[in-house]
Amino acid sequence: MKKILMCTAVSIFIGITPFQAKGDAGNENDKGKTLYTDKCQFCHGMRGDGKGPAAEPLLGHPVDFTDSKFWQGNAEVKIEDTIKQGKEMMPAFDLTPADIKAIIEYLSHTFKKATQNNDRGRDEK
Amino acid sequence: MIRNKLGKVFFLLIVVGLLQLLPLNTAQAVPSFARQTGMQCNECHTIFPELTPFGRIFKLGGYVLSKSGKPYEFPPPLAGMAQITYTDAKGLTSGVAPFDSTNRATDRINLPQQLSLFYGGRIYDNVGAFVQGTYDGVSNKVFLDITDIRYSNNTIVGDKNLIYGLTLNNSPTAQDVWNSTPAWRLPSASSGVASTPAAGTIIDGALDQQVGGIGAYVFWNNLIYLEGTVYRTARNGITQPLGAGTTTDQVVDGAVPYWRLALEQRWKNHFFTIGTYGMQADIFPAGNTSGPTDRFTDIAFDAQYQFMGTIEPEQMQEHTQMDNEHKAKAGKHIITAHATWIHEDQDWKASFLAGNTANHSDFLNTFRMNLNYYYRSHMGDIGGSAGYFSTTGKTDPLLYSSNPGDGSRTGSPNSNGFILEADYLPWEQTKISLQYIIYNKFNGAHSNYDGFGRNASDNNTLYALAWFMF
Repeated sequence: MKKILMCTAVSIFIGITPFQAKGDAGNENDKGKTLYTDKCQFCHGMRGDGKGPAAEPLLGHPVDFTDSKFWQGNAEVKIEDTIKQGKEMMPAFDLTPADIKAIIEYLSHTFKKATQNNDRGRDEK
Repeated sequence: MIRNKLGKVFFLLIVVGLLQLLPLNTAQAVPSFARQTGMQCNECHTIFPELTPFGRIFKLGGYVLSKSGKPYEFPPPLAGMAQITYTDAKGLTSGVAPFDSTNRATDRINLPQQLSLFYGGRIYDNVGAFVQGTYDGVSNKVFLDITDIRYSNNTIVGDKNLIYGLTLNNSPTAQDVWNSTPAWRLPSASSGVASTPAAGTIIDGALDQQVGGIGAYVFWNNLIYLEGTVYRTARNGITQPLGAGTTTDQVVDGAVPYWRLALEQRWKNHFFTIGTYGMQADIFPAGNTSGPTDRFTDIAFDAQYQFMGTIEPEQMQEHTQMDNEHKAKAGKHIITAHATWIHEDQDWKASFLAGNTANHSDFLNTFRMNLNYYYRSHMGDIGGSAGYFSTTGKTDPLLYSSNPGDGSRTGSPNSNGFILEADYLPWEQTKISLQYIIYNKFNGAHSNYDGFGRNASDNNTLYALAWFMF
């Protein structure tokens, strides 16, 4: 019985990964989401607000993608440069141009749009 | 014969020296982590192996944070370590271990004391590992050292971040991220040949590499850490690989529950933690693998304070104005203080009946505290620590009997003393340490503690260490 329980526990431990593994994304946004979850979320947060679990102990602050000020100017170029070269504690990432494009796409679709909706809501009020 | 030994010694020194020259970037601690993340080592370590707040999160995150776009690491995250040491204490011999086969366990020079190979980093996707294989120059043995394999993920619960994960490890508290608990306590290295007090609690390293366990943990809102792990013996069964190379002289019966609760709070650059941890183990008396067992119940409390330095003026600028040279890392002055108190109840259900203890039950109380200061200068990191340790408990003349050197004339387990250590990291892969341990009381007495004329101060130990990572 103990062996069965132990085997089950180890199987769950080992087997959980493939179920959690991110398969090939169907479209650019899904691919971007997968990459964001894997590479960015730990610091920038699930909601893109710069408040991920690793943000608290950092002495600098991860960028808040839900802040409309961030999207002023050429934010896409800024994101691309930061991913390629790193900034503050954030290291440079070895991502392909297609991966970077997918992340930018995801950030724009998810967080930039949200800031625009928020701003619109605020204006209407 | 001597020429042969010298030849081996020089060969080893040359190998270590060449490994230092390998262009593996500036990483240390476990350099494969730095290679994987692209981050500097001192973002996760004050001085290795002590963790910074970010280092704690990296570990809880399963060692998987990576700059690679792939779900795996290539080349695999491997790293190495060599420790060359010199110990000066009464009664030691002048040979060089492991080359001196007759007095290896008492040789002043250990070349090496330890050689280790690490797998440190991501295995696949959200599964990562810290696996250490070690050659011990004092015992001349190879064994699987600290091993911690993790699955980790994060989500939001109650509008706050939640890190959750599983750990498979072989040493209770090795999975912990605060350096106040036993496995990663300071000093991080100590002599392999000096005498140490006879009494110690079970959770304080007695089961290292002799058990294997699987546990689950959560860290919510960077505030509350909760973990539960269940261990079983590594002598046989599914956990046997986790004890590879280690003789299981502490055979636990059935499941051994381990628990951990910690609260961490940040105020500016100050990080405060208080916590509790413990375990209950039924252990067969020495030499037995069946029959009645003794029960050990350990309940411990710990605290840690960490000051990560004052942020430099240029770091106060808006991060958007900062260039890569002015990374928002810790300041130059790092202070950490740790304290732990462990209480162990010992129920000699088997040993008393066998006549191995004088009492039905005993207890031990261990207290340790230390204060570290490190300065990050242009010439390297420099600093040191001062600590106090004490173990007290019930007198038991059969458990702690008189014996030359390591025995107790009084039958008391009481020992206490101070540890002073100076550290210098001339460059990131190398740590030079000088440590001095002063015993005020050893195995129950200040003088003639063993009944054969040896004093506590005869165990005072000077220890010099050159620690290389590559």
